[in-house]
Amino acid sequence: MLDLALLAKGFGTVFQPSHLFILVLGTIGGIIVGALPGLTATMAIALLIPFTFSMGPTAGICMLLAVYTAGIYGGGIASILIRTPGTPAAVVTVLDGYPMAQKGLAGQALGLATVGSGIGGLFSALCLAIFAPLLAAFALRFSAPEFFALAILGLSVTVTLTGRSPLKGALSAAFGLVIAMVGLDPIGGFPRFTFGTTELAGGIAFVPMLIGLFSLSEAFRQIEIIETVERMTAKIGRVVPRINELVVHKWTMLRACLIGITVGVMPSMGPDTAAFMSYAETKRSSDRPDDFGKGEPAGVVAAQTAENASTGGDVLPMITLGVPGDAATAVLMGALIIHNLEPGPLLFRDHADVVHMIFAALIVANISFMVLGLLGARYFAKVLNVDRRLLVPTIVLFSLVGAYALNNNPSDVWVCLIFGIIGYLMQRYDFPISPMVLAVILGAMAESNFRRSLAMSQGDPMIFLSRPIACGILIVALLAAFSAIRRQIALARRVDAAGAR
Amino acid sequence: MTLDRRTLIAGAALGSVLSAPAIAQTFQRDITMVVPWAAGGGTDTLARTLVKNAKQHIGVGINVVNRTGGTGAVGMQSVSTARGDGYTVGLITFHLSAYRLMGLSQLSYRDFQPLALLNRTPAAFSVKADSPFKTLKDLVDYAKANPGVVTIANSGAGANTHLSAAILAKNTGIRLSFVPFDGGAPARTAMVGGHVSALVSGPDEVLQYVKTGQVRFLAMVGEQRHPSFPDVPTVAEAGFPIKEIIYDWRGVAGPKNMPADITRALNDGFAKMANDPDFIALMDQVALPRVYMNGADFTTFLGTMETSLEPALAEVGLLRR
Repeated sequence: MLDLALLAKGFGTVFQPSHLFILVLGTIGGIIVGALPGLTATMAIALLIPFTFSMGPTAGICMLLAVYTAGIYGGGIASILIRTPGTPAAVVTVLDGYPMAQKGLAGQALGLATVGSGIGGLFSALCLAIFAPLLAAFALRFSAPEFFALAILGLSVTVTLTGRSPLKGALSAAFGLVIAMVGLDPIGGFPRFTFGTTELAGGIAFVPMLIGLFSLSEAFRQIEIIETVERMTAKIGRVVPRINELVVHKWTMLRACLIGITVGVMPSMGPDTAAFMSYAETKRSSDRPDDFGKGEPAGVVAAQTAENASTGGDVLPMITLGVPGDAATAVLMGALIIHNLEPGPLLFRDHADVVHMIFAALIVANISFMVLGLLGARYFAKVLNVDRRLLVPTIVLFSLVGAYALNNNPSDVWVCLIFGIIGYLMQRYDFPISPMVLAVILGAMAESNFRRSLAMSQGDPMIFLSRPIACGILIVALLAAFSAIRRQIALARRVDAAGAR
Repeated sequence: MTLDRRTLIAGAALGSVLSAPAIAQTFQRDITMVVPWAAGGGTDTLARTLVKNAKQHIGVGINVVNRTGGTGAVGMQSVSTARGDGYTVGLITFHLSAYRLMGLSQLSYRDFQPLALLNRTPAAFSVKADSPFKTLKDLVDYAKANPGVVTIANSGAGANTHLSAAILAKNTGIRLSFVPFDGGAPARTAMVGGHVSALVSGPDEVLQYVKTGQVRFLAMVGEQRHPSFPDVPTVAEAGFPIKEIIYDWRGVAGPKNMPADITRALNDGFAKMANDPDFIALMDQVALPRVYMNGADFTTFLGTMETSLEPALAEVGLLRR
């Protein structure tokens, strides 16, 4: 349970000047790494692990947690400014953040993104500190049937992300499901749709695909207009949001916090899924769903808050059960093991001080990136004023180098290029990209857990209905899809009526 | 002629052991070690700890590069085709024994110069503390009477854990429902949460839960008892002798075409790193059995592994040759 004395001691440790310095350094590094495409928080943590050898565990953990939280946040910066998601989760921030920047609201978008991320992160760090042992027990009740149900719930929200044409959205999602099938069969273990190549045996690399779909495709589109758009000084505007600007988004933030932490606690669901679900739910329940995708501030808040709200959730099963919630926490777990702190039920018993120090460091790290992000936003935004003839080639270069640097695998560069062309064509012909991305993430999860569930039940499909949690989630998914479809139809009617007038 | 050369080699080897400058002369710059699995995973952690003090042992540092994709084949292949100057080595893992047999890649240990086996982990059968199965025999007897009802989680189709359980099923003529997970941790969580009847995993993966009394070992595969778990019987002792012992293993290898002196320097260097106190401490702490073998013994071991794997893969329908 949460021990306030130990937590106070943890804060004391974190606030020691040398630790605080390293934490701030980690925050700066994390923001930069997060903002650069292809350099993810996961990679940064992995690269820094050897440096933590000489630091000792406390300073090392402070730095890695700072890099982790700031890296997840930093992904949104490049999304907003140059439509280049620095991390997978930041894809959702692109949807409204980039249109906002195009409208001259870059400052507002960055400010809301920063504060949203910070609040989400703080919320999840507090949840982690207070509920860790409780939630760990809850997480044990989830297994394959529940994960399948959750994936279906996630897929049901793709309906909301479809944009104007539900049919095109469905096609996009179907394409995503096809992509998710490439690679080793998750249950059988044999190669599938790999066309006999070794490169495809592990599936299509996800992050290079994202860089291609969002960043390269936008660079291609910019090339079309590079000669015609005249050079202008983009307005940045106020960065630090006013209190009333935040109050407007209080429900969006609360929803994002709750979705973020819940999704985070589930193993194999990370910040990307959290951001998608929060965005879709915010759009679905909004009075003006049409404005989403055109620069709606609530869209940015929903994405960034949920993204960082999932960080505490991802850390939770890692330190309590030894099951990392996503790739970044898997690497954090490796770092803890190297420092003789193996996550699992014994960590709480034998190293309660370290666990509380982790809670304290997470809380401080979230405040740290919020402050630094607000201070730095004005300077990040200068990138908007770079001449397009310089910016576009730079984005292409960064995209391709980023795609390679992630796994040091040359075939990933081809993945990035091919999906750059696919993304360009999809946007040109008005196919939304987000349903496809979400389908890639959740398709594999849905399929493997569906078949795993059937392996558990010796082929009896009743396993999905006889387990109350799985059944409950499936019902919610059904209702969510149903209500979203009804809304789409109503929306289409309204648009038709407006057209007829 | 032969004698002269052998004397020379022996002399050189002695020299390299005795004087530090002689070691430094073998390598002028840092060595790259390719890890074919993602940063932060078990193999990566092992590699990074192994090379932590490389400078003391071979005079230059070793930088870990994670080159992932193709279920490890991309990274391993890049080592097998690297220039044989000793500056590129890589971690090779269990999967290398299975690629060819499963039709995933033509890559096999024959494409490498094995340098050192570092770890060899047997599969362990475990159940939740409140399970009715007290011994492995209980589980087998129950499965015999109720074919397919016993569900057993493993870390992935074709993994050593899956195949070890398949061999047990084949030898005893029982039918088990294998539930493959994406790695050891989620498989363990399913067992601890009571969603499957039993788990087959590396003993290290359930160590903490055994210590807290939430999980009980039934038996472990292996020729003799695991040194960290002297109370746990081997599968053979539990009444079911297994001829094909399948280990999860990790080792270091370089490209095939390295000159003899480089190979020897790397062999010696990795022998020292494998005996480094920091490395030993990590391995013992996470209960990964340290089994050091030099290049020659490692090569023999890899040959045996393929022979053992073939019938196991055939049993689960994954053999593609």
